[in-house]
Order: sequence, then structure tokens, then C-alpha cells
Amino acid sequence: MIGAATRKDSVYLRWAARNWLRILRLGVNPGPARMLKIRKRYPWVSGFLKVNKLMARLMGERRGAYRQATGFIINRLIDALATIVRDIHRRRDRLVWHEDLVPPEILHAMGLMPFMVEMLGIVLPMVDTELGEAYLDEAENAGLPADTCTLPRMSLGLALRDHFPPPLAIVSSNSPCDGGMSSYAFMQKLSGAPTYRLDLPYRYKDDSAVDYYTNELVKMIDFLEEHTPGRLDDEHLREICTQRNRAMELELTLWDMLRHKPAPLGSDVVFLAHMLFFGLFPGMPQATKMYAGLVEYARQSLQAGGGIPDEKYRVLLWNPATLIFPEIFSWAESEFRATMIMEMLTFNRHPLIDTTSRRSMLRDLARIMMQGPMSQHTRGPVEYFFDDLFFIHEHYSTDMIWMAGHVGCKNTQALLGMMREKCRQKRIPLLTIDYDLGDSRVVSVDGIKEQVRMFMDTVMR
Amino acid sequence: MRLWAGCDVGSTTGKAVILDESKVLAGAIVESTLDPEKTARQALDRAAADMDIAPAGVEFVRLVGTGYGRLQIPFADENVSEITCHAVGAHHLDPKIRTVVDIGGQDLKAIALNDDGTVMEFAMNDKCAAGTGRFFESMARTFQLSLEQFSDLSLTSTKPVSITAQCSVFAESEVVSLVAQKKAPADIAAGAQLAVVRRVISMARRVGIRPDFTISGGCAKNRGLMQLLGQRLKMKVARLDFDPQLLGALGAALLARRKSA
Repeated sequence: MIGAATRKDSVYLRWAARNWLRILRLGVNPGPARMLKIRKRYPWVSGFLKVNKLMARLMGERRGAYRQATGFIINRLIDALATIVRDIHRRRDRLVWHEDLVPPEILHAMGLMPFMVEMLGIVLPMVDTELGEAYLDEAENAGLPADTCTLPRMSLGLALRDHFPPPLAIVSSNSPCDGGMSSYAFMQKLSGAPTYRLDLPYRYKDDSAVDYYTNELVKMIDFLEEHTPGRLDDEHLREICTQRNRAMELELTLWDMLRHKPAPLGSDVVFLAHMLFFGLFPGMPQATKMYAGLVEYARQSLQAGGGIPDEKYRVLLWNPATLIFPEIFSWAESEFRATMIMEMLTFNRHPLIDTTSRRSMLRDLARIMMQGPMSQHTRGPVEYFFDDLFFIHEHYSTDMIWMAGHVGCKNTQALLGMMREKCRQKRIPLLTIDYDLGDSRVVSVDGIKEQVRMFMDTVMR
Repeated sequence: MRLWAGCDVGSTTGKAVILDESKVLAGAIVESTLDPEKTARQALDRAAADMDIAPAGVEFVRLVGTGYGRLQIPFADENVSEITCHAVGAHHLDPKIRTVVDIGGQDLKAIALNDDGTVMEFAMNDKCAAGTGRFFESMARTFQLSLEQFSDLSLTSTKPVSITAQCSVFAESEVVSLVAQKKAPADIAAGAQLAVVRRVISMARRVGIRPDFTISGGCAKNRGLMQLLGQRLKMKVARLDFDPQLLGALGAALLARRKSA
């Protein structure tokens, strides 16, 4: 068993202090008075004060470099969120809402401030599930069906309560799902901001589809240049893409290290890193530094014999991670000595960006988005979904698949029957966890634990 | 004499099976009480009484608890999920069994077995009484019949009516409404059986229906249900040479014996 490291040991206290310092810096810039106004205008900011509780849950009984890596990634998360809060005021004249499957690299290169609408729908349930419930109910009362995915539903709830900073423009896409698309129709109406929707073709793995989507990005740039003060600077885009490539190389190194048995880190750390890298600051120097830090922690962890030295099982988590129960990773480690080694939203095998020309950069960014989290798995032919699933299963030598059966995800729910059959044919133990991504009123954390225990106690017995 | 026992504390009944080195010596079923420990004790005492042994005189080499109340049996040496126990029990009685559907008092489980009797896959519904013993209880109550009479009544139907409600609560109101429409009671009873059969098949499909197929739990004693199930599945429903309601307790007792062999 993993040793019982205390919840408030020196590692925890050190990272907790750093997190508080980062939050307190918001009192300096933008300043206490402005910060109070921001806090009043955007009540969700208070949720960030609970970040150390989240860190304690994720750290669980982890030790050594693995515990350090957990503290480190939470610190990077709070740093990213604090930067956004600061910029809401400082760069409000350049703020553009964007969906998680729109490349923020381009917005950065245009001198705009990207505001990923789904970010809070991801972070709030992780920090405290109750923080998001009022927003879910708000969206439902406004007419968004109750069985729509909680992620767009929560985002819409935030928009309805006017808890998002006002945008100059909105950029969304037809991915990943109908719920997401319909929520943007509401948001466009609410904000009154001009909106551009990227159109991802159905079969998107051939060259003509990539060309088509590249042209979509070109049109998006034209749209943004028309409606905002942003202008695309090729040199700036090249710097961003070059920096992104460096971070991507480090991420690939990290992913390779996860193949070791026992693994150096669990996939919550890797998932959070990827979310920050992909959605919030791709191509920024802090993303490269973050991956360099994680690679170093993973190396130290391997030298010490792995994150869970007595690792018994390796689990592949499929579908969006259980946001209402983010400590499922550390819980599985201590309860079953199971490392959740990789999950669907992280492992996106995309190419390094060719920085030769504007067109080549846009083309590779298009490809990255087309093969990005969710796009790859909720649109297009079913083979895209299963090819990735079974590739990752074999690549990381996992013993079982836990399908996070988010009730709001119609696209993946529709695949469950096929998934069961395919896993049966391949003799891969499959657990489908019934739950809702962001609403613990549907299935509680205890309900999730009970499902996992039942599976481990019977099928993996 | 070395004895092993399995105790299955379910939502509506408690079951116990006692084994020696080679055979089943006794089995008993009692009504569940609010206290799982008491239910388990009563079931064991009843089984011991069948063996003409005073309860105080029985000592078990090992006892395994199962069922929803398994965590509240303090005298059990181990607790094991009922899914595993039903699989072990079914495999012991007939090694050809590959699919078991356990229709319990308040839940429904479909279990796919590996060739060695271990669990390959399972699906369960434990949040809703649709397709469970509780559903039949409410149906029989509506007709003011016993469960057995209700089952026999369904066998006389010539034209089962369609009962659409999946929920036990709403199904009861639907049946009341059908009675008011002067539908034949036998046809309504058969319709209720059919609703459960469809639910059971749907659950079984989730784990893949592979022969041989059998049913366990108290509802396996419902002849009308078993007949309809066989017809709908177009597959013989294997009848085990044992009380199907005791299958979980048997599996638990077998696991107890296996562990201390």
C-alpha cells in the first residue's frame, strides 16, 4: 500500500502557500479595489479560494515526486486562472469568447484576449460541485433541455447570469456536440456579439478536409479583423507555434514516460496539464516551462520506483474525466493500487506545426483542432473513436477500460453498445460508470465509488 | 463435521445455505427485517434447524456474506458481491451456463460468465424497481392475489395487453386503468409479465446473451415469467436443479469452502 502521507505535510503546505501567494498577487495587480469589484461582478472568482482543498483531494496519499507534481500542476492551474482574472480587467477591450475547440493560438497572435467559455464549466465542478449547480438550473430554466451536457449548460448559465466578461466577438464551432452548438446560439443572442462558427467537416482525416478547415480558419481571422482591433501578426504566430512545438515535444516525452510500469504519474496531472496547454495558453512560454517541470518530476518519480511503486492495475479512463470526482485518480490508487494511466481528452496525437508560412501554420493548427479533445471522438466515423481507444489501451498496456458514461453525452452514449461488444471481443474488462460530468445530483460521488468497487470486486476479482 | 455457510441478505428476503465437504446440507429463506444481521442470523438458524441441529451447536469453518446487507453481517468471515456469488453458484450447478439474470426483490442484474465461472461482465439496475420482484408484488396486490396466483393467472391469457410503463409505480396506475376498461385480468397479468420479460432481455443484452442462459432470484419461480422469457428469447432457459432463490447464498457458501479448502 501507499504510505499514509498526511494531508497537510510539508509538500502540501509549500504548494498551498504558493497558491495563496498567487491569489494574493491579484490584490496588487489589478489592485484591491478593482479586485473587489471583479469579485462582485464575477462571483465564481471566490471559488478559486478553494483551490488548496482541491489540491489536497488530488494529492491523496501520493508521495515524493508524484505528490510534488500534483502540487505543481494545481499551482499552474491557479496561475492560469489568476492571469485570466487579471486580464478580464486589463484587456477587456480585446476580449473574445471562444469555444474549447477553437485555436487560441490564433487569437493570441492577433493580440486578442481569448476567453474559453467552457473553462469554468470544467473548473467549478472540480473545485466544488455545488458551485455550478445554480448555473445549471439557470440554463435549464431558460429552455436548454435538462439532458444537455452539463458543460455547455453550465457555460450558458454563467452567461445568463451575466457572470462572463462581455465579449467583442464570439468564435465557436460545430463541435463537439449539438448541446454545445445550441448553447452558443443562446450566448450570441444574450451578448449581442457577432459570432463566427467554424465548420468541421464530417470526415476530417483527408487532405481536402484539412484544406477546408484551414480556409475556415482564414475566414475566422477575416471575421475577427473586421469585428475587433486584433490583426494577425505572422511573426507573432510563428513565435507561438514554435513555442507550442517545444511544449508538444516535452508532452510527448511525458507521455512516453507514462508507459513505464509502474507509471511515474497518474493521468489527472497529465490531463490538467493538457487542458491548460491546449485550451488556455498554448504557445506561451509558461506552457513549455510547465511541461519541462512535469518531465522532471516524472523522471524523479521513475528513479524512485514510480508513482505507485506497488502498482497492481493500469486503467484507461475514457470520455471526459469525472469532474465532480476529480480525486477518482488518487482514490483508485489508494483503494485498488490502480493507476489511471491515460484518458481520452489528453492523448491527442497531432503533428508539430510547420512554421514555414502563414498557410502552413494555419493548416497544422487546423489539423490539431480537428484531432483535438472531443473532436476526434464525438464527430466523424465511429472508427476514429475506437481506433484511438484501442491504440491507447495497447500503447499503455492498460488492464481495463473505465468508460465515464456521462449521461449528457449523447454522442458517446450512443456508442456504448458497440463499445461493450468490441471490448468483449478483445477480452478487455470494461466498466461503464453512470454519472453526470458536472452535476453530482444525478449520481453522487459515493454512487460512482460504489460502481467502481462493484466492478473491481467482481470482474477484476 | 466441517461446515461452511453462505448468507445472502437481500432487500426482501434473507437466504442461507450450509455445506459440508461434498454437498448442500440445508438452505433456508426468511423475510428480511430492517436489521441485516438479524436477518442473516434468522436464515442461518432456520437452515440449521432443517439439519436438526440446534443453532447454538453449529460452528462454521468459514462463512461468507453476500447481498445488499452483506456489510452488516459481523459474524461473516468475508463479504463478497452477490454478482460473484450468483456466478459461482450457477457455474457449480451447471458449468455450461454463460449468462445469468438475477431478478431480485428490488434490483435486476445480468451477469456474463467466463468459461471458468468467473464474472466477465455485468449490468445492473438498482435504482428502480422496474423489472424486479417488487414490480410483481405491486401487480399482484392490485389484483388482490398472491404472487403464485398472479403467475398462474397470466398463463391462462390468450391476448396479453400492452403495458407501457417501465416504472413500477406508474405500471400500477396503468393496470388500475386497464381494469377499469374491463380488460381481462389474465391478459393484464400476462401483459405485466411481458413488460418484465422485455426489461430482463434488455438488461441481458447489455452483457451479451450467450447460452446456456438461466434465471436466478425469487422471480425465477414465476412460471408465467419463465415461459414467456423462453418464448421471447427463442432460447431454452436452463433450469438449475436447485432453488433459484438460494443461488447467491450457495455461491457464497461455495466460496467459503473454496477459501478454506
